[in-house]
Amino acid sequence: MTIDPIKFEVIRNALTQAAEEMAITLRRSAYSTNVKTRQDFSCAFFDKNLRSVSQAFTQPVHLGSFVRHVPVAVKRYGAENLGPGDMILSNDPYGGGVHLNDISLIGPVHWQGQLVGYTACLAHHVDVGGGAPASVGAFREVFQEGIIIPPIKFVDHGKLDDDLFRLVLSQIRSKRETAGDFRAQIASNRTGAIRINEIIDKYGLNDFDRYIDEIIEYTDRRTKVEVNKLPKGVFSAKGFVDNDGFTEEVVKLEISVTIDDNGVKFDTTGSDPQRRAPVNSTFAQTFSACAYALRALMDKDLPVNDGFYRYVHVNAPEGTVTNCVHPAPVVGGWETHVRLNDLIFEALAPALPDAVCAGTKSMQCHSGFGGHNHETGEYYCFLETLAGGYGARSRSDGPDAVQSHGQNTENAPVEETESNYPVRITRYELVPDSEGPGEFRGGLGLRRDYMFPEEATFTILADRDKAGPRGLFGGERGSKSVYALIKNNVEQHLSSKTTLQLKPGDVISYRTSGGGGYGQAFNRDPEAILNDVLQGKISTNRARKHYGVEINLSSQQVDMTITEDLRRGR
Amino acid sequence: MAGNEVHNKIDPIQFEVVRSALTQVTEEMAAALRRSAYSTNVKTRQDFSCAFFDRNCKPISQAFTQPVHLGSFVELIPTSVEAYGAENLQPGDMLVVNNPFGGGSHLNDVTVFGPVHHQNELIGYVASLAHHVDVGGGAPASIGPFQEIFQEGVIITPVKLVKQGEMNEDIFKLLLAQIRSKRVTAGDFRAQIAANTVGSRRLSEIVRKYGLNEFDRYVTAVIDYTDRRTRAEISDIPDGIYKSESFLDFDGFTENTVTLKTKITVDGETVYFDFDGCDPQRRAPVNSTKAMTFSACAYALRALMAPDLPVNDGFYRHVRMNAKPGTVVHALHPAPVVGGWETQVRVNDMLFRAFAPGMPQKIASSTKAMMAQAGFGIIDQVTGEYHCNYEALAGGYGARETSDGPDAVQQHGQNTENAPVEEVESHFPMRVSQLSLIEDSEGPGKFRGGLGMRRDYHFPDDAATFTVLSDRDLEGPKGIFGGMGGRKAYYILNPDDPERTKTELSSKCVIELKPGDTVSFQTPGGGGYGPPLERDPERVLLDVTLGKINFKRARECYGVIIDNLTNDVDRTATKKLREQIIKSRSSK
Amino acid sequence: MKELNTKRFRIGVDIGGTFTDGTLVDSSTGQVITSKVLTTPADPASGFISAVNKLLGVNNDVEPGEIEHVVHATTVATNAIIEGKTAKTAFVTTQGFRDMLEIARQIRPSLYDLQFEKPAPLVPRQLCFEIPERLDAKGNVVTPLDEKALAKIVDQIAETGVEAIAICLLHSYRNPDHEQKVGKAIKAIIPDVKLSLSSEIVPEFREYLRASTTVINSAVTPIVSTYLASILEKLHSANINSELLVMQSNGGVYPARSASESPVFMVESGPAAGAVAAASLGSALGYPNVISFDMGGTTAKASLIRNGQPNITKDYSVGGAAQSGDGAFGGASGYPIRTPVVDLVEIGAGGGSIAWVDSGGALRVGPQSAGADPGPVCYGLGGKEPTITDANLILGRLDPSYFADGEISLDTEAAKKAIHKHCAEPLGLSIEAAAHGIIEIANTAMVNALRLVSVQRGHDPRDFILMGFGGAGPAHVVRLAEQAGIPQVLIPAEPGTTSALGLLVTDVRMESSATLIVRADQVELSRITDEFERLEHSGRLAHSSAASASGEPIFERAIEMRYWGQSFELSVPVPDRKTINDDWMSDLIESFHESHDSAYGFRADDEPVELVNLRLTTIGKIARPQLRKLDIINPDIKVAIKGERPVYFATESSQGGVISTTVYNRQKLPPRSTFNGPAIVEEPDCTTVIQPSWSVTVDDFGNLLVENNQ
Repeated sequence: MTIDPIKFEVIRNALTQAAEEMAITLRRSAYSTNVKTRQDFSCAFFDKNLRSVSQAFTQPVHLGSFVRHVPVAVKRYGAENLGPGDMILSNDPYGGGVHLNDISLIGPVHWQGQLVGYTACLAHHVDVGGGAPASVGAFREVFQEGIIIPPIKFVDHGKLDDDLFRLVLSQIRSKRETAGDFRAQIASNRTGAIRINEIIDKYGLNDFDRYIDEIIEYTDRRTKVEVNKLPKGVFSAKGFVDNDGFTEEVVKLEISVTIDDNGVKFDTTGSDPQRRAPVNSTFAQTFSACAYALRALMDKDLPVNDGFYRYVHVNAPEGTVTNCVHPAPVVGGWETHVRLNDLIFEALAPALPDAVCAGTKSMQCHSGFGGHNHETGEYYCFLETLAGGYGARSRSDGPDAVQSHGQNTENAPVEETESNYPVRITRYELVPDSEGPGEFRGGLGLRRDYMFPEEATFTILADRDKAGPRGLFGGERGSKSVYALIKNNVEQHLSSKTTLQLKPGDVISYRTSGGGGYGQAFNRDPEAILNDVLQGKISTNRARKHYGVEINLSSQQVDMTITEDLRRGR
Repeated sequence: MAGNEVHNKIDPIQFEVVRSALTQVTEEMAAALRRSAYSTNVKTRQDFSCAFFDRNCKPISQAFTQPVHLGSFVELIPTSVEAYGAENLQPGDMLVVNNPFGGGSHLNDVTVFGPVHHQNELIGYVASLAHHVDVGGGAPASIGPFQEIFQEGVIITPVKLVKQGEMNEDIFKLLLAQIRSKRVTAGDFRAQIAANTVGSRRLSEIVRKYGLNEFDRYVTAVIDYTDRRTRAEISDIPDGIYKSESFLDFDGFTENTVTLKTKITVDGETVYFDFDGCDPQRRAPVNSTKAMTFSACAYALRALMAPDLPVNDGFYRHVRMNAKPGTVVHALHPAPVVGGWETQVRVNDMLFRAFAPGMPQKIASSTKAMMAQAGFGIIDQVTGEYHCNYEALAGGYGARETSDGPDAVQQHGQNTENAPVEEVESHFPMRVSQLSLIEDSEGPGKFRGGLGMRRDYHFPDDAATFTVLSDRDLEGPKGIFGGMGGRKAYYILNPDDPERTKTELSSKCVIELKPGDTVSFQTPGGGGYGPPLERDPERVLLDVTLGKINFKRARECYGVIIDNLTNDVDRTATKKLREQIIKSRSSK
Repeated sequence: MKELNTKRFRIGVDIGGTFTDGTLVDSSTGQVITSKVLTTPADPASGFISAVNKLLGVNNDVEPGEIEHVVHATTVATNAIIEGKTAKTAFVTTQGFRDMLEIARQIRPSLYDLQFEKPAPLVPRQLCFEIPERLDAKGNVVTPLDEKALAKIVDQIAETGVEAIAICLLHSYRNPDHEQKVGKAIKAIIPDVKLSLSSEIVPEFREYLRASTTVINSAVTPIVSTYLASILEKLHSANINSELLVMQSNGGVYPARSASESPVFMVESGPAAGAVAAASLGSALGYPNVISFDMGGTTAKASLIRNGQPNITKDYSVGGAAQSGDGAFGGASGYPIRTPVVDLVEIGAGGGSIAWVDSGGALRVGPQSAGADPGPVCYGLGGKEPTITDANLILGRLDPSYFADGEISLDTEAAKKAIHKHCAEPLGLSIEAAAHGIIEIANTAMVNALRLVSVQRGHDPRDFILMGFGGAGPAHVVRLAEQAGIPQVLIPAEPGTTSALGLLVTDVRMESSATLIVRADQVELSRITDEFERLEHSGRLAHSSAASASGEPIFERAIEMRYWGQSFELSVPVPDRKTINDDWMSDLIESFHESHDSAYGFRADDEPVELVNLRLTTIGKIARPQLRKLDIINPDIKVAIKGERPVYFATESSQGGVISTTVYNRQKLPPRSTFNGPAIVEEPDCTTVIQPSWSVTVDDFGNLLVENNQ
């Protein structure tokens, strides 16, 4: 039986639309700033064989991780134990999951009593209990990180299981917010199920199944084409995470990328053994780093599903920071995950100089805090991740203050944050001179200062405090990050992975790293420097020292004669 | 109606039969629990209790191997039933709960309880509490210097663990997921369920035998009986106001000691414990829950009474206290509570010291008065299974009016056995490299305090995480009536390994051990009773002979000179020395 | 009192990308005259006036004095932003937040694009200034305004010679005092600079969204005010001294004077007109619930109308990638605006959209468009790639010899070749099948657009009538209805200029709002009463300044609510404030629960509810021209039949094929006549395609009511 290309395109769009509607329902009815505003969640539809079919991702990191977790969770619970209206909850890092905050809710979709697929949504919950508010921090074991949820039937025939709900919530600090986010997840899955049913009502189950196969085959064909466009060969790079939160010993990472006709093989052999420290990436996290990197090198409108993932081959030795085993702590895994992305692009740079970018922030850069909110009498928790400078590209500067790679969460508006939590943001601005110099410069990092009128517990879980992001092809490193505690105007630098008790009036200050530069700084167009200087993004000194450009501030012009001397001096 | 007279008469024989039957029920529960449990802490150290409550959640009878659990039950059961709703409990259901702020103690003490029905009518509730060796959280065995409840492990508000006789698998899975020692703990949970099942079976037999009305009548009678005796016992305590103060040496984070205060008012048939003046709760392991403090009072009071007094609602209703919410004796959410037992036993010690002037003959000098908890975890290199061990070590007991304090025993609310070295070593890849009394650690006195104990944990081949959650590292237990204090506690990493640097540890810490490390746990000696110089030299001689104290200490602390040739007391020299010492003292 | 009878005429002018449409209505007879002239991008005002003159030329018994008012829809503001031609603007904010516009939302517009760019801020960094001052989230002063520092900064700003200044201080939505002081200080030194205060433009929390809206307002103010001035001047020179009104994004009009001060309210001026027309026509004909579908040469726009009112949204951004109107997934590529906008979904599917086959072998349509140049292959103007128009031609829906009133003759062969080469051959389909596929796929995208405005907002499209207009709308709309399961379609008379008509059938609307942010169980009812009173007072002032608004202002009140903890509000209409009491409150909460349930599929009755914003819409009614009935003659359909031709159709049931189809001349269709599909209805600027098993009734006003017989 042949595929009707028209019906194909129609069904494909309808399935994507279903996932999008799930996402909108989730976001609009959620409670926590992290979900409703920062959009730290994803939604997807899986066919009855648990192959991922369509997805609405706000966060690329969930690409790969989320879609690996869902099939494992369903198989562990037993598809046969799931009926109409049931939904299972799961976040087990060692059951295909990532860190504990990312909790997936998965429900079978039935049409006229038959299983036709699964809708699933994942949300990063602000707090899941454990060692520190917002469940981020320097922990040694997964047991310290919060509630571990093996697949359990959270919703039974459409009804929330009160006992499980209560038990889960009792582990959590910000109970009201989290309860709201769970309700939003349930609503999201329901929306998806309704859409899927409408699609089948229209096309019938046989066609529905057939066209899902075809949708996956279609992606497979297009992925193959894209893979064939890539240069064949083996490319590798080495790098590190700056510290592990307990020792100053850097965490070594190694990646090699082998591209041939069968697809792309990523191998992390040579990376350090896992540690009793927040630097361990689960396999799912490492897989998603690789999937993201590959996806970023392909045609923008390639629909991602099973047909794409089958071209991503990852070998990450067990027991290493790229594939940790129980009971390693995993909350810091994203720091490792996102650093791998930088490495992959660095490895591919010689082969794909115009496709990749120089080193980016490439850390999650968590800021988590909580304490007693005297107004509501509740335990409040807050989490956000801060942007940094992006890496420069072969034809353009790296954008300033933006999220990098797998991470695309919004910033929490100052006014929203201050309205809901007892904190004051006293500064939020770019960090001048933080860019990595180059013919095209890296983006600027940003500064964000938090002042606490009341006692609070604050956790920094980030990195880049030893060295800034690397440049490419003669471009220089961006500035490194600084994390500081400011007590009555005395500034004290902090580790990039630490939890501390704050007294009223204390200020925590983040200055995130700038992006790496691309090409020789002395080849940068002087007019571009002039613009940077006029905008106050680069100082005249730096312009002179790093770019060999003399700016005359009074005339607001480049002094070409001096500039030429400076550059000849090189 | 006519029947009334008949019914209102209590037949003394049947009374005694029912009463002992009720106790028997809980004893059988305890036996079932102990025999089917997996963890050393439950099956051997007997860190659990069982009880029966009537349909109004009033405690009727209990088999508590651990007096500390005395009080904790009393509030937990009614609060939990109320929270979950009695109407939501069917025959065969069982709830699981450990919520410290809903009548519980620390998270490790997990209670499983369920309704007992007779012909679908609610008779009451059977409950079993077990100290689970691990409930997840910050460190193996779930003890350590934590700053919030959320770091201490899984918090269980009442939820259904058993539905009409069937295990609620999803709840069970979710609980176990939080726990390191999954296999062992799963076994202990099943043991608790078994205990309750046995209990409810036996109870329905009793009810079947006597009928529900009779049963109820005699239950009431049992309570009234205890009530009468308790009131009598209290009126025996001399009326008056008893005061005392104490402190915890270290809160795990700051050097500020934790102040404890009590004022006990005894007036006829009433006794009232007031804890006004105790420190505010801290973000540190020194917070006792209301239930824990209540159990300290209950224990203290009970200890002053006749040993055979059956404990039930008739007793508890007389334990009245005022512990201000938000203080270390009544912690509020989200305070950490695992260290609460250290406070609880210290409160116990303080209560006895308060009573001392009133009834010198009944109380002991200061004891170890801390839980002295040691916990460690090891990940099996082969199976990858996570092993956790927990135990609480003994110390010197306080001396009494007419007798020395026993060496190396548990005290007050705490009566857990020691874990046999052979059992521990067979369960875990570690070695107990030393287990001994500590010479010269007693608090000297007319009657001396007991000796402290040393237990060294050696980990030959494995990295381990070790937790000390204890106290007494500032000073030892005080003496009384002229008696002197016992030796303080020491916690030492690698005490005598030339290869490794010896480090003194704090009394509240979690450390990561490398293969080959050793932790030495040295508990304090008990306080002495009366002036040491009044101690019978023969007793001193015996101690020296037994090697519990040495010649030098005999001379310096007790003024007793022992002839090391005859190995006998040199009476004249001793007499002289004692007079000298007294003279020199008075001249000062 | 305004003398309506002496001012019978109203003029509407809608400037689009290609054409400038004019409409003249005689409000006493309802007679409508339209005019089309080419848009003059260099100086849009001249195109404007020639459209007006053309109208007056056609109907020369119109005295300029008889013109009540002129209503204008323009994209001048949007274009300025898209083309980066905004005025030199300064941005003033709280100390520590100078980079608010640079950092924006810290996200990337597309997830997997390593070469992405953030939109360049409308204000360069050197023109962003900080004032030492600070409020907390309750509006209390934390750091008092530093007057000295302020004075210095004002001098600095003066030196830069900016034309406009946007002020956005943190938490000014709670307490505008500091913003007002800063404003005064600036006015004192730089009197004629264009000034915008965030607390006046959008007093709502979330600083970046508020700042962005305020900045856009000031950045386009100089352009817009100059533009409107030149329009007025041209009107005066034509002796037309009547009031000039401007269409707002929310579908209401406001006086040119207000428009020059707050142009941010008119960025979607053009598209809104179509929705308004649909709403008005719908209510006039007794269809209060309409989904309007407006399809032109390059894009199609869908919007939803309930109870005669277009749906309004505030999650919107301008100058960005095409988006669903929800700030969630688009937005990052453009500049967010928080002023009310008619909830439009705009997609790149028009007559010129190009069809292609991708590397995976899927047939795709758009978003690339051949536009007017080179245009579709069949125009023979150099177009090489097949478009929707080419497909329509091949399927027989267009008459090669009668297109654009016969001005262009279409080259069917060329179209076939192109489709064969680019689509049919690679897919192994017949040319007809491929052509049909192109239409179906374009339709799918359009059906999704219909879903986005209906289903995604919690409305069942089947409860609405679908109204299709614009140059290309009628050719697709019936099939869309079929696919979306909508049983009724309405094709207005003169669908080509429906939008321009919309300008003349709306009211003067002024939106105002106040922030509450308080839990329903904690609010003092008196506070709600007072706030509404305050809003109504300013509403009355605005109303009195709009000459065309007759009689007393009408107030529409709504409260934006959410569960305490959420961030997305649902707007709940509220009855007259005089009745505010506890019952009123419980009713309000109940209707919130209900709308939450219908939007997201659940209600949380135990959860506290929060009141976020009070909204007041002040409406100055403008009398509608009544519709002009056609003379009822004997409804003999034959007079309208032009002939028959083979046309390719697909339906929900059949795979599709060629059916011989009757072709009608719309201008000759008698009122109250009926006929059945399949059918083609032709008129000079537009062709309507009636699917098989649908039937048409011509109503008394010349509109086509198309209904599904199955």
